[in-house]
Amino acid sequence: MRIRCPYCGERDNGEFSYLGDAAPRRPDGLEAQASAMHDYVYLRDNPAGEHRELWYHGAGCRSWLVVTRDTRTHTISDVSPARDVARSRRPGEAA
Amino acid sequence: MTSAWTPRSAWAGFARAGRHGRPQGEPGVRLTLRDGVGLATVIAADGQEDALGRILADRFGWSLPGSGAATLVGERGLVWSAPGQWLAVAEARAGLQGLAEALRGVAAVTDQSDARAIVRVSGPRARGLLSKGVAVDLHPRAFAAGQAAVTSIAHIGAQIWQRDEAPTYDLAVARSFAGSFWSWLSHAAAEFGYEVDREAEH
Repeated sequence: MRIRCPYCGERDNGEFSYLGDAAPRRPDGLEAQASAMHDYVYLRDNPAGEHRELWYHGAGCRSWLVVTRDTRTHTISDVSPARDVARSRRPGEAA
Repeated sequence: MTSAWTPRSAWAGFARAGRHGRPQGEPGVRLTLRDGVGLATVIAADGQEDALGRILADRFGWSLPGSGAATLVGERGLVWSAPGQWLAVAEARAGLQGLAEALRGVAAVTDQSDARAIVRVSGPRARGLLSKGVAVDLHPRAFAAGQAAVTSIAHIGAQIWQRDEAPTYDLAVARSFAGSFWSWLSHAAAEFGYEVDREAEH
């Protein structure tokens, strides 16, 4: 599998580290209920199909990326810098 | 002022001057040990990239390269490293004097002259040699003079930039990895026959 880094171009997936689902947003630690923290830390969907996930280009430009990947075929339909995704997101909105 | 400290090449103890590997014919690869090169990382402050570009152009005559590019005139210039980050390169450390002061407030500048080991790879088989270790397409259609990449070679983080169409490449690795990197480089170059231009200074 290769990932097309928006900065570096197409690179072998060995250059990247996988973090996981890009959707969960950390609740405010001072405000959140324990149950909300539990859900944030432990609960993940396991979709058969399109999945938005965080990858880190550690052996390249060291950027965090949001990769849209089909979990059945590994087809990657979109790669965006995570900072752009975060900046375009309204507060409280999932990735 | 004299000093008890003497500069030591990053390749000292690893690289040996002379002809190595396949003994027949002309050497396919030439390795030039580059010591004393001036290096500094330049990291733009948030939203200051345009200001950084202007100061570098006005004060140093440098243009800020975009993703995957290097803008070098002779031995001086900038190599793209990451979004908002570049490696400034000069023949010697003195060539980067004044850089940090000039960029105060618009970029963080950190001297890396002692932090990297640099080798110049040229010769008719230079591209073939690097293709054995670089998982980036180095075909002239995809990677030409003025292009740069941060990647890994033999699991060692490396920055590579192509200087000319000969082709000639400069490779930089963390100085403490010089021995491991040389182990890969010398083994990979052996089949082509390679020449190391001079002895690494101890």
